[in-house]
Amino acid sequence: MKKAVIGLNIKYLSKAIVFGLLQFIALFLPYAKTTEGYKNMPAVARLLMVSNGGSALNYVLIANIVFTLLGFVLLALSITNLSKKIARVWQCTQAINTATQLFLLFASKTILEKGKLATAFLNKDLGFGYYSGLLLAFLTLVFVMKLNETNTGYIALTIMGIIWMFPIVWIVLTSLRAEQGYYVGYFFPKNLTLSNFTKLFAKDSVIPFGKWWVNTFIVAIFGCVLNTLIILATSFTLSRTRFRGRKAFMNVLMIIGLFPGFMSLIAVYNILKGLGLNQSLVALIIVSAAGAAMGYHVSKGFFDTIPRAVDEAAIIDGASRFQIFTHITLPLSKSIIVYTALVNFLAAWSDYIFPSMLFGDKQSSYTVAVGLYWLTDFRRIDRYYTQFAAGAVIVAIPIVILFIWLQKFYVEGLSGSVKG
Amino acid sequence: MKKEFFTKLSYIVCGAANIAYGQVLKGLIFLLLEMSYILFMIISGARRLAQLITLGDNLQGMTFNEEIGIYEMTAGDNSMLILLYGVITIVISLAFVAMWLFSISSGKAARDRYNAGKHNNNFIEDVKSLGNNNIRFFLLSVPVVGLVVFTVMPLLYMILMAFTNYDQDHQPPGNLFDWVGIKNFITLLSTGDRLSSTFWPVLGWTLIWGFAATFTCYFGGMILAMIINSKGIKFKKFWRTIFVFTMAIPGFISLRVVATMLGEKGIFNVLLQQWGFTNAALPFLSNATWARFSVIVVNFWIGVPVTMLMVSGILMNIPGELYEAARIDGAGPITMFRKITFPYMWFVTTPYLISNLISNFNNFNTIFFLTGGEPHTLDYYKGAGKTDLLVTWLYKLTKDSNDFNLAATIGIIIFVISAIFTLVSFSRSNSLKNEEGFS
Repeated sequence: MKKAVIGLNIKYLSKAIVFGLLQFIALFLPYAKTTEGYKNMPAVARLLMVSNGGSALNYVLIANIVFTLLGFVLLALSITNLSKKIARVWQCTQAINTATQLFLLFASKTILEKGKLATAFLNKDLGFGYYSGLLLAFLTLVFVMKLNETNTGYIALTIMGIIWMFPIVWIVLTSLRAEQGYYVGYFFPKNLTLSNFTKLFAKDSVIPFGKWWVNTFIVAIFGCVLNTLIILATSFTLSRTRFRGRKAFMNVLMIIGLFPGFMSLIAVYNILKGLGLNQSLVALIIVSAAGAAMGYHVSKGFFDTIPRAVDEAAIIDGASRFQIFTHITLPLSKSIIVYTALVNFLAAWSDYIFPSMLFGDKQSSYTVAVGLYWLTDFRRIDRYYTQFAAGAVIVAIPIVILFIWLQKFYVEGLSGSVKG
Repeated sequence: MKKEFFTKLSYIVCGAANIAYGQVLKGLIFLLLEMSYILFMIISGARRLAQLITLGDNLQGMTFNEEIGIYEMTAGDNSMLILLYGVITIVISLAFVAMWLFSISSGKAARDRYNAGKHNNNFIEDVKSLGNNNIRFFLLSVPVVGLVVFTVMPLLYMILMAFTNYDQDHQPPGNLFDWVGIKNFITLLSTGDRLSSTFWPVLGWTLIWGFAATFTCYFGGMILAMIINSKGIKFKKFWRTIFVFTMAIPGFISLRVVATMLGEKGIFNVLLQQWGFTNAALPFLSNATWARFSVIVVNFWIGVPVTMLMVSGILMNIPGELYEAARIDGAGPITMFRKITFPYMWFVTTPYLISNLISNFNNFNTIFFLTGGEPHTLDYYKGAGKTDLLVTWLYKLTKDSNDFNLAATIGIIIFVISAIFTLVSFSRSNSLKNEEGFS
């Protein structure tokens, strides 16, 4: 019976068939405990058809049965007449079947309660037939995919992808939700609206979100430019020049870096107060620029990889160190410049502790991080939750675009930091 | 040797040697700096240093004014400002000492060059050399000044605070605080006291959290990267982008969003009940064990993509022949991971792992935005909760209860812990450098 088929890995066929058969059998084992005791899936489907009411999710149950049967047919076909086409169709069917089976884990309660087959249903009332069917569906899928020489990593990626995107989808949906309030008993909004966004920027709004956004943008732009310049200057000096005290200087920086950063913020706050700079954005920019030099590692690691011979040649040609910095090192380091600028730009959007300490209750100076956190305070969350979500989306969109656009540089910097 | 005298003189009168050997302007600048320092010390510096010894004696209070016959408020000493100004004076003095040493060596260099018959730079040439041989002074001046003023000085101030009793009962200006030596450390590190019975559990959780958060993300990210990079996965960029989403969104947003989702009436509880997994709300963030578990899981959600991106680059560097050879020898994917991928990764990423561990001990954002350290417990010193790390506790001590001395003490303890791990990392990477590398 076993003959080689091009593009198929025949040694997994037997396992796929065994698990497929078992899954088919599991269809007729008890699916769930209804008011009339345990019933298998076809029986439940028949009861649902006659009962009035019920929900659209019934179709998932029916689809699951159909696809299980279809899978069984394809299994039979692949025994008698295995071809690449059949294996591909079987894989597709099995994937949908596994998805519907898994989906029933979340939908059974609704299906059975709406169909008036059970009350106060919990998933522990699902029967042996369901759980073994779920497990066997997965196993069959794995082996059918192996038979097709498809990478089984897709299963893991799909499941993880859904989990990873779940909170993001939720917050986007919430930002579009017309029903206000924190607590709603459903996932998909009943009515969609853009008013959460427009309210944030309305003139009479309690939330000066536009102001917050502009504040953060200013801080981010200045911080990005100043910090990048300082970091590049520091790392160039530490990497390309040699002087007495260089090692000591780096060690001091490392030791300072081991203290928790905001331990000193109280003192910084007092100093700024002495300078008359408290509650102003300038203070925020200055303090972040002042500490920037500590982040020299990544770019120094990069500069270290530029051959010294390049510098020496330039010196022979009569270039000064500063010219080497601006005309040779920097043009060679485009990726690390982008990385440094990106990281510093993003940092300004997430920085919370110091701005919150600096601005206290002066809301007009808040940055988005402080402002949005302030909105999720338990006294305000119920009133402003959808607007908080809208604000979060507005802040996140440009950053996500920027990040994905410049991802290449980020990865380079990241792996540079591992090497360095 | 009349000029030799100037070199000696420059120990007292800064810049004397420079002036004598032809660098007049440079010498005058040294002299000017010295004079202004002396002037500063006479006017206020000396007094500020002296005050540092007692941190102020005069309590704010009411004194009877005989002339008009009523009690008057008199301003007392403000210990906090005394300490701050004291620290500033110390830093200025240190800067002066550095300038003094520099001027002496500069003078000597000028003498030596003069005696050797070489040309001494005049001022304009000195300025020009800032762009060339002395570029370090030019490029590092701004960063160093920034670091000294906004990092070193405040840090020094906070470190000194750990040796005072600046707690909620000793708040300036109404009250004075004083030096207490290492009493704070003893209180925190001993046993039996309420503070120490908060400190040790919080420290324990900080360590557990640090290791759990680091290693879950490390292995999770590695496995994810291996799946995405494995042969036969199409649309690699698409998959990577899905996961990069969580990482690109600013941390405070995703954490606040997830925190609201995990609440008692949050969407997770709603859905879990709707889906029939449970019939009562689960205490994701309100029960100590649940909350600790939740923060690790959420951190996993945020941290895995970062590791994934980092690991992707390294995975591609593993020589493909290794895998070919292993496959011919009949090794399965698990064996290949255990014998090739993992040892290679481990070798390359150990320093990253340790720095990641340290940053997780200090992972303020995740805890603060997710739980705020809650749930609270009566067993702990007020304010601290079951998911508080040392850093978030430190923050609460400064922000809510004004126990600055305790906060500073904890800060120093965090420093010690981080330093220990860094030293381990250093000794390890040194020992590895001596070997031939991964083979």
